[in-house]
Amino acid sequence: MSNIFNLNRFGLLLKRQWLDFGKVYLLTLVILVAVIFSFYCYFIPSPIGDNFDYDGNLDMRFRYGLFIFLGFLFISITSSSYFSILGQKPRAIQELMLPASTFEKFAGALFYTAFLAVISYLLIFYIIDLGFVKYVNSHLSEFKMESAKHSHLNGVESISKQVTSDKNYLTYLSSYFPIPFLVISIFLLGSVYFNRFHYIKTAISVAIFSAITFYMIYKASILFIGDKVMRNVMVQKDEILLWIFLVSAAITLSLWLITYIRLKEKEV
Amino acid sequence: MIKVNNLNFGYSKHQPLFKNMSFQLSAGHIYGLLGKNGAGKSSLLKNLAGLVYAKSGTLDVFGFDPSSRQPAMLEQICFIPEEFYLPAIKIDAYLKANAPFYKNFNHDYFTDLMKEFDIPVSQKLTNMSYGQKKKVIIAFGLATQAKLIIMDEPTNGLDIPSKTQFRKIMASALTDDRCIVISTHQVRDLDNLIDTVIILDENNIALQASIEEITEKLTFKKVKEMDPSIIYAEPSLSGFHAVMPNYHQEDSKLDMELLFNAILTEKTKFKPYFN
Repeated sequence: MSNIFNLNRFGLLLKRQWLDFGKVYLLTLVILVAVIFSFYCYFIPSPIGDNFDYDGNLDMRFRYGLFIFLGFLFISITSSSYFSILGQKPRAIQELMLPASTFEKFAGALFYTAFLAVISYLLIFYIIDLGFVKYVNSHLSEFKMESAKHSHLNGVESISKQVTSDKNYLTYLSSYFPIPFLVISIFLLGSVYFNRFHYIKTAISVAIFSAITFYMIYKASILFIGDKVMRNVMVQKDEILLWIFLVSAAITLSLWLITYIRLKEKEV
Repeated sequence: MIKVNNLNFGYSKHQPLFKNMSFQLSAGHIYGLLGKNGAGKSSLLKNLAGLVYAKSGTLDVFGFDPSSRQPAMLEQICFIPEEFYLPAIKIDAYLKANAPFYKNFNHDYFTDLMKEFDIPVSQKLTNMSYGQKKKVIIAFGLATQAKLIIMDEPTNGLDIPSKTQFRKIMASALTDDRCIVISTHQVRDLDNLIDTVIILDENNIALQASIEEITEKLTFKKVKEMDPSIIYAEPSLSGFHAVMPNYHQEDSKLDMELLFNAILTEKTKFKPYFN
């Protein structure tokens, strides 16, 4: 039996982790459903009042912010809590002494935080969004047409449909694809690195690190470019998006590697 | 089975806990690890289990470096810490989740041990007292059939009948291919259980000797008056409890507490006897 990765042992590990992690995870999902549902109920356009955006369509813009903000909270909390048990001596001893390799334990963390959490969030948001979209579309005739700019009121589209049917959206989506995984990798590392108050300490560390990085970039740009206007440098939008993808993916993979090493070297 | 060579370890650079510590442990023995508070008993056990890393030196636990934490090694080590955690589930659910990781896990033996400890298998772990939980974790550890059993203060939280049960179970758990290391500061709890004593003091091992060797070289007596042959003595109601050289091959019962105090107080005087 391999000492690095064994599928049977990995399956056992996922099952075992579910016993510990599952209850809290399911409870978090219930809270997530309740929060999304409440926001939709509150902000969904109703036939009473002004419910149209600048283009004269029914205003469903709240859901983009909700999707990003809640998504960030959900994946960061889930990943920040995964290895938090290593901060408690008795639990850490039990986890580290469990006959599974460090790689399997790390892969288990990726499964729950980067796969299950992301998939379940997308699925829950998709189902709730679709439900409300269908509900609004079935009541379109009740909206007062004079409030709309067009003579004909367009139906609402679900977020998933908007993204998949628009080429522009798809380009952005593929470029920003590693961002949620970057968030996950940061908070997962924080959960191994810190022994207590993982979430707050990780958030503060990220804030300090980002401030220092931006300050250094700013100072470097002043030093090298000064106040000259760079007329000849034309950066294409596609190039920027590619760089966003590459840099965030590289940082994510590096942070996962550091998390693995940190887990391997964890002492109790 | 376990070889430790020139182990240097400490939680800070300026305060080493172990300096060039070397020793060997063999299968078929129950070792009692004794030491004052802060002597490093738990830290030594953690070094053996790979829970902390040595600054330098080598540790060999049945061919593995414990710091590598390989599954093949981990399934042969049962570590029962002083403070432990059990999830809020039933015993059978705990078994289902954890036992499959140990390919030699003996379910019948676990059931027998639970019966011996008088704990119903259907009980929920959260509804148990500390002592009961400790019994569950001990029973689970023994049922893994691990080759190395490490116990840190296992009798803490056990009542008097449970301590007797514990001694009985541990004595029966010893096999030729198994090594048991028990650390405790309640030395009387290990009476009649351990066969080798390891005493830690001043960053190293002050004594490692079998009970047989100790009672062969030393005798433990009650004396009315002090005499020059006594190496160490403690006053008692009727005179003194004394440790002296066993010149006449007398049979005496090892007084663990007396030996412990004697070694810590008169380490240099005992050195010639155990080299």
